[in-house]
Amino acid sequence: MKNIVWLASYPKSGNTWFRMFLANYLKNATEPVTLDEIESTPIASNEHDFEKLIGLNPFELTPDEVDLYRPDIYRELSKEAEESGKVNYKKVHDAYTQNKDGEPLFPEDISKCAVYFVRNPMDVCVSYANHSATEIKKTFEKLFDEKSSMAGKKRGQLRQILMSWKSHVKSWKDQVLIPVHITRYEDMLQKPVETFSSIIRFLELDYDQERLERAIRNSDFKLLQQMEQESGFKEKMQKCENFFWKGKTGNYRDYLSNEQINRIVEYNYDVMKEFGYIDENGQLTV
Amino acid sequence: MKTIQPFDFPLKNVIVQFSDDDEEHLPSPILTRPHLEVNENDFLLKVKNVAEYRVQDGERVFVRPLNGIDKASVQLFLEGSVLGAILHQRGVLPFHGSSFEYKGKGVMICGNSGAGKSSITEAFCRNGARFVSDDITPVGVSGKETKMFPVKSRIKLWDDSLKMLKIENAGFDKIRPGLDKFYLPSREVISGEQRLDHMIVLRVHNEEKFEMHELSGMEKYNVLRKQIYRSIYLKGMPEKEKLYFKHMFQVASSVRITIVVRPQICNIFDAMEQIQKAIVS
Repeated sequence: MKNIVWLASYPKSGNTWFRMFLANYLKNATEPVTLDEIESTPIASNEHDFEKLIGLNPFELTPDEVDLYRPDIYRELSKEAEESGKVNYKKVHDAYTQNKDGEPLFPEDISKCAVYFVRNPMDVCVSYANHSATEIKKTFEKLFDEKSSMAGKKRGQLRQILMSWKSHVKSWKDQVLIPVHITRYEDMLQKPVETFSSIIRFLELDYDQERLERAIRNSDFKLLQQMEQESGFKEKMQKCENFFWKGKTGNYRDYLSNEQINRIVEYNYDVMKEFGYIDENGQLTV
Repeated sequence: MKTIQPFDFPLKNVIVQFSDDDEEHLPSPILTRPHLEVNENDFLLKVKNVAEYRVQDGERVFVRPLNGIDKASVQLFLEGSVLGAILHQRGVLPFHGSSFEYKGKGVMICGNSGAGKSSITEAFCRNGARFVSDDITPVGVSGKETKMFPVKSRIKLWDDSLKMLKIENAGFDKIRPGLDKFYLPSREVISGEQRLDHMIVLRVHNEEKFEMHELSGMEKYNVLRKQIYRSIYLKGMPEKEKLYFKHMFQVASSVRITIVVRPQICNIFDAMEQIQKAIVS
């Protein structure tokens, strides 16, 4: 049954923020849902789900071997969702790729659709460095690395192939097996009602304007920051101070050199232009 | 069919044989997954790129290594998932835990893979503990006591854990080519059974501090059932599940259970100290 919705993005592109919005919209409560409530729906690369559903220790397999089983994990999760009559919304940072058997990691037969979140790569770079508690030059180089991946070492999440930023975007945008709705992080910030409502309609959820606006208010970035301050957030890395860091656009200007900016623009020009980060005159818009 | 012995098996009374047969399916599986089929006494596991394992009646294992695979890889899954299947078929409740005897107390550290069970067990063994078993510890209930049985005498550790424990890698065998995880040389294990007094359930969080709390009542049972090794097999073994239900209530009533939550990044000896506090409290 096609009952899994992939919430896909390169890291630090608004995925978790959207999950909080969605949790609020689905619950339809007056009070904001807590951060704990989205922690109960782990990322698609969760290592414990793998061991529980496959019965093998993922750290005693190579990452390529792990990927051979991943489509089966999602088929099992789909069966579980079918039994409970619910749609399973699954966060994903993997690029859309195939395993060594030539099978897509995210199988068409159980995929309802995907929402892909895209964000200005320069802001991604800076935010990702904060998230990983690492130097900006490391996340900067990742943006260009076609062999880039995250996790999948000795413990923690399964390996996720990222590729470069532009290849990540293109992998989800250009695949034809899963219907995909692409959302810009900047639009979520600047025109939330229009942007979130278009996702709700794409997901074929019951649409209600008041409910939508309440869910937007209850997942306001400042509120999420406050919740994290008060109760912590399990998806934060240990060395990172705040998962919900700045939540604004153009932050990169305080951190990246002109040389770094130029290199990002040069490498990603077409994709950045397609998503409006570069205008018709070749000027940066954010 | 060749009778072996290139492969070792951690338990006695188990016959391991090579098989040339490409086992497509079990005759009557209760659990069916693309790579796994299970019923009460029959089990088929296909580890992609490595081998296929058929396990019957808790005493026979048929192994069909796949083309070009190395012996260490085949052996690794024999001592893990296949050992788990043998124990479940025998109705001997296996927990996902490493175990030792420390200051007269039988201790088992349970937790997900990657939680640090083996590293901390090795740290204890370097501080006076006597080793029982690594990664899988089967238990039995006898009267009001719970007993642990040693089944795995070699601790597996990643290179970074060896470094933190200040163990020089004197040419230790890799668990598989390409993985920097090694078998420590076999330890002298406690012979026979060892009473289990305290189960530590080890978890990880992203905070800098350790947290610890002891469980009571039904909480103990609920946490205990999540520590069963390869509990997925039980979906194909309803009779064993019923049997374990009774055993686990007995275990829960005779064993202390403490949750210890450690920072993602922490020193192994700091984790050991926290667990020492839990044990002696």
